[in-house]
Amino acid sequence: MSVYLELQGIRKRFGHTSVLDDVNLQIREGELVTLLGPSGCGKSTLLRCIAGLADLDGGQILLERRDIAPLPPRSREIGMVFQSYALFPNLTVGENVEYGMKMRGVAKADRRRRSEELLAVVELTDKRDAYPQHLSGGQQQRVALARSLAVRPKVLLLDEPLSALDAQIRKNLRAEIRAIQQRFNMTTIFVTHDQEEALTLSDRVCLMNKGRIVQEGTPEQIYTRPRTEFVARFMGSYNVLTRPEALKLFDGLEGSADSFAIRPESVVLLSGSAQPLPADKRIVEGTICAVSLLGSIIRYAIDAAGVRLTIDALNDGRSLPLAERSPVLLALDESQLLHLEKEGA
Amino acid sequence: MVPSVKWSPAKTANEAVEIKERRVARLKRSNRWVWLGLVPFLLMVLMFQFIPIVSMLTGSLKPAEGAGISFGFYERILKSAYYLQAIKNSLLISAASSAIGIAVGLVCAYAVTRFPFKTRDRLLMLSNMTSNFAGVPLAFAYIILLGSNGVFTLLFKQWGLDIFGGFDLYSWSGLVLVYVYFQVPLALLLLYPSFYGIRDQWREAASLLGASRWQFWATIGVPVLSPAVFGTLGILFANAMGAYATAYALVGGNYNLLAVRIGSLVSGDVVNQPQLGNALAIILALSTLLAVFLNHLMTKRSQLLHTASPAKPVRRSRRMPVPRSVGAKEEL
Amino acid sequence: MESGIKRAGIAHRLLMLLLMIYLLLPLLATCIYAFAQEWQTTVLPERWTLEWFGEMFRDLRFLESLWTSLYLCLISVAISLIVMLPAVFVITVYLPKWESFMKGLVVLPYAVPGVVAAVGLIRAYSSGPLEIAGTAYILIGAYFVVVLPYMYQGIRNSLLTVSAGPLLAAAELLGASRTRAFASVILPNIWPGVLVSSLLSFSVLFGEFVLTNMLVGGQIQTIQVYLYHRVGESGHLASAIAITYFVFILLLSALLMKLGQKMNGGLKG
Repeated sequence: MSVYLELQGIRKRFGHTSVLDDVNLQIREGELVTLLGPSGCGKSTLLRCIAGLADLDGGQILLERRDIAPLPPRSREIGMVFQSYALFPNLTVGENVEYGMKMRGVAKADRRRRSEELLAVVELTDKRDAYPQHLSGGQQQRVALARSLAVRPKVLLLDEPLSALDAQIRKNLRAEIRAIQQRFNMTTIFVTHDQEEALTLSDRVCLMNKGRIVQEGTPEQIYTRPRTEFVARFMGSYNVLTRPEALKLFDGLEGSADSFAIRPESVVLLSGSAQPLPADKRIVEGTICAVSLLGSIIRYAIDAAGVRLTIDALNDGRSLPLAERSPVLLALDESQLLHLEKEGA
Repeated sequence: MVPSVKWSPAKTANEAVEIKERRVARLKRSNRWVWLGLVPFLLMVLMFQFIPIVSMLTGSLKPAEGAGISFGFYERILKSAYYLQAIKNSLLISAASSAIGIAVGLVCAYAVTRFPFKTRDRLLMLSNMTSNFAGVPLAFAYIILLGSNGVFTLLFKQWGLDIFGGFDLYSWSGLVLVYVYFQVPLALLLLYPSFYGIRDQWREAASLLGASRWQFWATIGVPVLSPAVFGTLGILFANAMGAYATAYALVGGNYNLLAVRIGSLVSGDVVNQPQLGNALAIILALSTLLAVFLNHLMTKRSQLLHTASPAKPVRRSRRMPVPRSVGAKEEL
Repeated sequence: MESGIKRAGIAHRLLMLLLMIYLLLPLLATCIYAFAQEWQTTVLPERWTLEWFGEMFRDLRFLESLWTSLYLCLISVAISLIVMLPAVFVITVYLPKWESFMKGLVVLPYAVPGVVAAVGLIRAYSSGPLEIAGTAYILIGAYFVVVLPYMYQGIRNSLLTVSAGPLLAAAELLGASRTRAFASVILPNIWPGVLVSSLLSFSVLFGEFVLTNMLVGGQIQTIQVYLYHRVGESGHLASAIAITYFVFILLLSALLMKLGQKMNGGLKG
């Protein structure tokens, strides 16, 4: 598949600070790419630049090989869903969905047909004549989605669309959005600060920090192979170790990396001495400092050779949780130890 | 006295009753304090707000002589060309000055929201400051400016433009012009908050959907604003109908205005027909009450339009309200 | 549309400039008139003088009316404060159901204009048990109603801003009686806001004409009434009075603004 949307050397400054610093990204048609990162990393700004709601200081935005950067928002054929829904309060749901078509001069009958089609997709056909104020947050967001899709945009942008919703609704809507996106084969950019959302929804994830893309890849890649300490810390409860700390747990380490990461779920805990010790793993003694039950996972804070580690174990009911202050053996797999690069590499 | 609640269980039925009685007594005592705080207030409002109104109403419904209910005075008014003229004049001037005031005020309100907060506040403050001038000083100032020997009249005559030559300050158009002076700041003050209710994101969403600036305002902006605009129109209208000082100082009894007529009937040098003044006052009040009621309806509708948003944690503004225009109303 | 939305373009600036000129013109004209020796048929006065101001300050009636205005307004505001503070407090904290009724009070100056109020007052109190028409008493009562909306809103907003309800509850739980709680906890906190509304009410009353003229115009002369009489007699003198009055109100408003700012700063902590 060829490149559908390409960002080349995007630069933006706000006074003296650089908000976006040489951002490059290639997106294929039909892909859902998530821009992930902490507040202030520039992900929303990048989205707004793509939509034309913010000016660029440098760079190009190529949509189907055409630079759309000089075009105003209404000529870019891009749709956007906002965190605050931004539904027009004086129009009914149906009129909101038909708004884009009305602006483009589409005939009434065609508008009606298309809006009904989309309202059926978001399952709000019976709310066609209601006003946005009377709908719940989740419903309003679905209307916003239908409204954006009605004009058949080339790219759909979603700016933290689920952040204002309750947890349960968020999960349901998340799945709906993904289903609709795939159904329409819509090239989509999704912005969020929630890594769980990013991992479940996307074809590809771009992690951003301070105006740059720090790492990019499939959810699997980003989660299992973080390149830098920042990525490791952001994508879950990785244990990040300094070189001296890592050396305490493993004998001799190759390479020149200064920090290392190991996933909490990749360390196996062995309690008693009755079990045969696995040969291919490095065994270290440790003591349990704290135990917390997170539902399906039991999280242990363990002190092993002077290094504080977080280890997760599946709460499958087969073994009882280990008690605090009890001694425990950790089976560490060196292949699971990730060598991290320095930031900005 | 600490409002304590003893949780020790009552040992006998008698004790239970006793405890209950004590609680009720305490409640009664605190209620007494509550009412004490209210009594002077209620008394004043009763004496100086309600009783006059009631008195006016009953007075206007009495016949000229004797007792009973009669619409005699109202009949006289509605049959009198003179008083009908006064009502008509007032209605027209109020309508015209409100329309102009709101048009100018709306445009200015839009402009004022484009400035940073500090500048905006200063501009509003300036606008409110000038409304202190309303009433007698204002009328006089306009005489200086546009009277027969007024600055502008002479200036334009010098320049050869005789537009102000034909203009009579002491006529209908003159009054409207002077009224507009205090209507515009009021409209500005009442309307500018509404522009902040037009969300940026609506504009952005609309533009992404293909709407031009004009299309946005025509389909979203103006409809969302219109309740506020109509509501303000109501206030402006009531304000103009009730205006007295400016008109009195400008034209005195020479121009037939309802408010001034009432004044002269009830308390002038020659107090001749207070009862008639009563009835006229009721008619005036009806028009202003209607206008204010319109404002009330429109405010409710406007609030309806502005609640379409997710519950964002609204930073409870702990600012004291900027003291509302020192006399933004025309006069009191 | 970063570049489009929140910046003031040239058109907007021009518009605001025009508005300001329009609003300041009458003031300017009056000011010039007050300093002009003679100003009959020329665009700008031929000679300038300060004699009008001198005459004004020497005029006994001016000084009298100024004094009358001052003490009448002060008394009215004081009475209003004494009556409204406990009442608004009680309503805001204990009787929230009355709030909707009280909201109607805010539009009172528009719904029942001065003329109408005057007519009613004259009729009610010209005869019968309480014949106070034509006295200062009825004027003070009328003034009370005039400033009611401003005092109500001001005190209410102060109470809400300092969260009077929870504050009072906290004080009571700590052992204070209701009155002590009010005096020691509520009052000091709302005092700045109350002061601002009092000053506002004072300004409003100072500029009041309708009620004053109709109710007591013949017997009691406030500065506005005096001004009206002088306009007919000597325009220059009247201008001097108008300007003086305006400057006074201006200073008062400036004080108001400063106080308002100081309060906002204080409460932000």
